[in-house]
Formats: sequence, C-alpha cells, structure tokens
Amino acid sequence: MQQFFEILTKPDNLPIVFLLFSVIFFTWFAWTKAKKNDAQGYPVEATLDDKVQVWPYLVRVEFLATIAVMAVLVIWSITLDAPLEEPANRALTPNPSKAPWYFLGLQEMLVYFDPWIAGVVLPSLIIVGLMAIPYIDINPKGNGYYTFKERKFAVLVFSFGFLILWCLLIFIGTFLRGPGWNFFMPGEKWDPHFVAVLTNVDFSEMWPFNIATRMPDGSLNPAAFIFGAVCVFGFYSLGPLYWLRKRNTDFMKKLGLVRYAIVSFLFLTMMGLLVKILLRLIPTFLGMNPVKYVWVTPWFNV
Amino acid sequence: MLEAFKKTEVYKSIFRHSYQDTQRNRALQIVDNVFLHLHPVRVPRHATNIGYTWGMGGITFLLFLVLTITGIILMFYYRPTAQYAYEDMKYLMNDVPFGPLIRNMHRWAAHAMVLTVMLHMFRVFLTGSYKPPRQFNWVVGVILLVLTLLLSFSGYLLPWDQLAIWAVTVGTNMARATPLLGHEGPFGPELGMMPDNDVRFVLLGGTEVGPPTLLRFYVGHCIFLPIIAAIFMAVHFWRVRKDGGISGPETPKKT
Amino acid sequence: MADQVAKEAAAPQALTPTAPAAPTAGAPRPSGTQISPVPLPRKAKQDRPPEEDPGIWRMNRRNVLSVAGWLGFFGFIVTSTIGALRFMFPRVLFEQPPKFKAGFPSDFVVGEVSEKFKEEKRVWIVREKGGFYALISICTHLGCTPRWLGSDNKFKCPCHGSGFYRTGINFEGPAPRPLERALITFTDDGQIEIDRSIKFIYEKGDWTKPGAFLPFQG
Repeated sequence: MQQFFEILTKPDNLPIVFLLFSVIFFTWFAWTKAKKNDAQGYPVEATLDDKVQVWPYLVRVEFLATIAVMAVLVIWSITLDAPLEEPANRALTPNPSKAPWYFLGLQEMLVYFDPWIAGVVLPSLIIVGLMAIPYIDINPKGNGYYTFKERKFAVLVFSFGFLILWCLLIFIGTFLRGPGWNFFMPGEKWDPHFVAVLTNVDFSEMWPFNIATRMPDGSLNPAAFIFGAVCVFGFYSLGPLYWLRKRNTDFMKKLGLVRYAIVSFLFLTMMGLLVKILLRLIPTFLGMNPVKYVWVTPWFNV
Repeated sequence: MLEAFKKTEVYKSIFRHSYQDTQRNRALQIVDNVFLHLHPVRVPRHATNIGYTWGMGGITFLLFLVLTITGIILMFYYRPTAQYAYEDMKYLMNDVPFGPLIRNMHRWAAHAMVLTVMLHMFRVFLTGSYKPPRQFNWVVGVILLVLTLLLSFSGYLLPWDQLAIWAVTVGTNMARATPLLGHEGPFGPELGMMPDNDVRFVLLGGTEVGPPTLLRFYVGHCIFLPIIAAIFMAVHFWRVRKDGGISGPETPKKT
Repeated sequence: MADQVAKEAAAPQALTPTAPAAPTAGAPRPSGTQISPVPLPRKAKQDRPPEEDPGIWRMNRRNVLSVAGWLGFFGFIVTSTIGALRFMFPRVLFEQPPKFKAGFPSDFVVGEVSEKFKEEKRVWIVREKGGFYALISICTHLGCTPRWLGSDNKFKCPCHGSGFYRTGINFEGPAPRPLERALITFTDDGQIEIDRSIKFIYEKGDWTKPGAFLPFQG
C-alpha cells in the first residue's frame, strides 16, 4: 500500500490525480446541471440571456481566474520539482518504461492490439472521428446548454469514450501497470521479477472452434484465416444490418446513408476495442489462455 | 500629481478616454484596447458564469502564454545537443537562480494545459456547442488539441534523461507500424519502406532516437509547433466571435 | 391577392440576370394589383458572375497565359514541398557502423547468451552447441531493449511484457513476431563478424538461410 501512495504522489503523476478528481467533479457537475435543465423543461442559461458589459463583468472573472491559476501554478512549482532522471542511455530500458501520461491510454491499447492499430490507426480515427462529430450529429437540440434527455446517444457515447476509454485507461496505465507492464492492484508490490504467464492463443484456436492458426510447418491455416475474416467482417456488418432494418424510419432518412456509415463505423470500432479487451480479460479470469489475435493474415494481424 | 498627469497629452494619447464609470467608457475600455478587443463589448449573462463555461478555454490560453514566457527564459540556458542537453538541465536545476522554479512552471503548466484542453473539449461537447453554426470551430479545436499533445510530447525529449528518451522511443516507435508508410506497418515493406526512409525517420532524423532527434524535436517544440498553434488559436478565437460569440440556448424560453 | 404577390417575391431563384426586371411603378398592370410592399430581391451586382466568363479551365486564346501562370504556380508549390520533404532525409548518418568484429569463437561459452555487445551494438550473441547466431536486441513490438533472464531462459521486454525464447521466437505478450537475427560470419582471421544491416526474419523463412546461423564445433 505504501508503494501505491509513493506512485500516487510522484510529481509527474500529480496531473493524473488532478485529472481523476476534476473529471469526476465535472462529470457530476454537468450531470446535475443537465438534470435540472431536463426537469424544468427549459435551460437555466435561457433565463440569463440579458446582456452584461464585458468590462467589468467578464474581465473581472478572467482576472480572478488568472490570479487563481497563477497562484496554484507557482505554489505547485515551488513545492514539487520536475523529475530529472539519469542521463539518457539507449542500452538500458527502465522497467516499466512509459509514454507521457496523456498517451498512456494508447499505450494500454498496445497490450490488446498490434502497434499499427493501437499506435497509428486508432489515434488517427480518434482525431478524424472527433472532427467529424459536428457533421454527423444532426440533432439540432441541446445547442448551448446542458442536457441529457435531448441527446442521450451523443452524450453517452462521448462520455464513454472520454471517461472510460481515455481517462480510465490513463489511470490504469499510470497506477496499475508495473514492471513488465504487468497489472498490479493498488497496494500490491511492484515486483520486477514477477512473471505473468501469458501464453497467447488466437480466437480461432479457442474452444469451441479449435482451429489452429498455423499448420504444423508454420504456414498460415486457410481455415483460420477465413474464420478470422468472417469474425471481423461479421462484426462490422452489424452496421449495414441495422441500416436494413431501420432504413425507413424518419430519423434514418434524415441522417442519410453516408452519415450513417460513418457513425456506425466509428461506433463499432469503439465497441470493437471493448470486445477485444474483454476477449483478453474474460478467459484470464476463467483460467484460460487470453486471446491474442482474432484475425491473422500474412500482412497484418487484428 | 496623478490628476495633473491625467490631463497631459501623453496620458490622453495612451488611454483616449476617461475612467468615469459610464456605459460608454466601459465599452471603450474593451474596444480601444488591443488585448481586450478580442472580447465583444457586451455578452449574455450566462457567458460570465463559470458554472456554464468552466473557464477552461481561457485557462488554456493563459497556460499557453505562461509556457511561451517560461519556455523563452529556459532557452537562455539550454543547448539542444546530446552532449550538453543533460548537463544544461543539471546546471539549470542546481546553479541557476530561479532555474528550478522556471523549469517546474514550464513542466507543470504543460501538464495542466493538456488537462484543461481535455476538459474544455468535454464541456464544449456537453453543452452541444459544436452544433451549427460552430461546426468548423470544433474542428479547429481538435487540431489545437492535437498540437497541444504534440507540443507536450516534443518537449518531453529535451531534458535528455532516461525518462525522456524512453517515453519518446516508445512513442515514436509506433510510427514504424504506420500502414504503407512505416517499415513495419502493413504493406510498408512491400512498398519499399526501410528504417532509413520511412515516416519514423523523418521524425527522428535517424534510425533511432539520437542527437539528430533532439535537434528536430527542439526546433519543432520551440518554433514550428508554437507558430502553427498560434495561427490556429487566432482562427479559433476569431471564429468564436464570428460564429456568434459564446454558445447559448437559441430562443430564450422564459416562464 | 397580396399573398400571391408575396409568393412571387419569395421565389428569387427564378430570377436570372436576363429575366425581366421587377415590375416598376410605371409599367401597365392588371387592375386591382398592388405593388408589392416587399421589393423583389435582385442579386447584388457583385454576386453575379461576369458575363461571358468562360472560367479558367476553358482554354482559349485569351486565357492561355493565365492557365500557364497557374500551372507554374502550383508546380512551384508542389516541387518545393517535395524538396522540403527530401531535405529531412540526410544522405549521411552519424550512427554506429552496422558491421563489427565480435571476437574469437573461444571467447564464448557454450549455452550462454552474451550481452557483451548489447549496449554498444544492440546485438546478443548466442552460443549453442552447434554454432552461433546473433539476435538483434530490439523488441519487435515497440523497439525497447529486452533483458536476458538467464534463470527463466528467456528474453523479457520491460515495456509491454513481451517474452521470447532463447531462439528469439516470441511466446508471450504483445510482440507480433520473433526477434530478428543479424548476419553472422567468420572473417579471414577466424573472428566472428556481425553485420546488423543484413537481417534474417523468421516469418520469411530466413533463419534457415546461410548467414543466420554460424555452424561451429569446438
């Protein structure tokens, strides 16, 4: 437990503690505001629409905020020194070695995916997906005030992505990943000699499929290749299937096929992360070997 | 004395209006000031409410200014070569008056800025402020988020200690796996990508994190990325005004 | 009646620059009609395209110079972008030479993994009963330097926990493929020479090729 507090109070980890508290606070805060707006049927902000002069009313707030931020920053800088470790040495990899804290969510993804997905495709999709949000969210409601009732899907998906897939993974990557990138519960000692038995199997090799990924001579088993392709494409075909069922509803007509395709692709990819993580975790809890790949091809693995 | 000064031509040429508390002077205070005229003269009351805005965008800008100033100060003592970088850091931390304070402020403000940028995005999403007519400004905001992360990441290497070199090694090694453009990515080798001609090589200036990487990251961190970020920030703030100021409910529904 | 006029007024798309102008007060009109209180919208002069503008992509005698100018402009932009990119790929690198002599075979103990060259050259030399092979000590996952754990008889990467057998084959953790081997040969004076720039990759079947393994008895 003592070690956990040591890690928690390492100067470089302080931002994540801040992150944790501020994100929880602001989520709760926005939630209460949204609840209030939804309950009374009109946004609180609408009652505050009379104009006030920027000088002094807004400038005053900005000035106070500046003073507060500077005070915190100066105190923080006086009390805690930024870390400076040993000189760079390329032959000696520290254990564990971690990316900057804001990339730890992505580094955590590296446990579950090959680098080309976790390190390149996922970040690009996050950026492109974020940029696409204003153009795929055609719901005109909820513009300029807190609400949940009027845009449940949007708020839920974004909060899931931000709170779980981004912030929670940063937290796990910082505090619960120890030497060898092994998972340690809070309070467990970070034992550098701890060896986790991680014999990987591929999804096709699991019960009840039992299709070996590789032939005895090391070449790829075509059956496993096809099985993997069916799994991946089957997962993504959930999008078109849902479209076929709902395409005649007013909402879908307004959304249009292009927007729908983008939304469903991004959404399924997001859920795919979860699926892959669960494929790794559930067998571990059941005492089986965790899944490494769903689809193995000669060029890339998923 | 002060009153006499207020009557001089010098004073009048600087301030151009009196400080009597009138509506007109309040407006002029904003309009006549190059720094404040970023603001409109009047805003809806809810825009001054921290409960609505969380103030995160403004704090991010403040932290950017802090980072610019402390960063320029640090440049006086830092040489971006593998030979000197670490020594300069030690020198800065041990022998330069207020050196640790400036460096700490630079680092903590950088962390805080990443945090506030994320919270700002969260708030803007929750209030639906990316909806028409502000769609494009959200896109600019996403670009600024990426630039913030890149700025922070490129700064991570500069101390040239173990933490720096391995964080950057792990970070940039992902570029090896870029599809098509990396020498270990899907279809990369098929297109003739090698460790010395792929996308990671551009970042590192070599096949591994070494002295050329330090220089590249330094130039990117101190000149290239801040200028790009400043340009996008200008667009971001300008668009906030042009898209109708801070977001708010469309039609006031008073009961 | 007034509604009808208003409707006409609300259809500005029908107005083209050649269409008759809005009715003026002097024009004869059927009795009973009122002049619309809403002036019919006309496109402002600067919003109309100049008459008979062929656009720049319609090549003709008059704009051939303009097209040539634009081509030159974009040609310059593209060329300088490519040049700037090329600028970032220097011709000479100041890095460790990939080829080096590792000493005589007798320097190595049978069954041991030598870490002698790990720091400088990032290579392990493994001495088996039947000979030598050289593993490049860069994790195939994200390029960290794995450690040789003699007691567990495996290489373990500290970054993300990938594990490799002493042959270099991956068996645990996220590494997608085995470690790479480097070219290993004898020089004329009987020393072992290793060339890191020539790599042998397991999935391509390179490990059975000569150079990936150096047979040696003794």
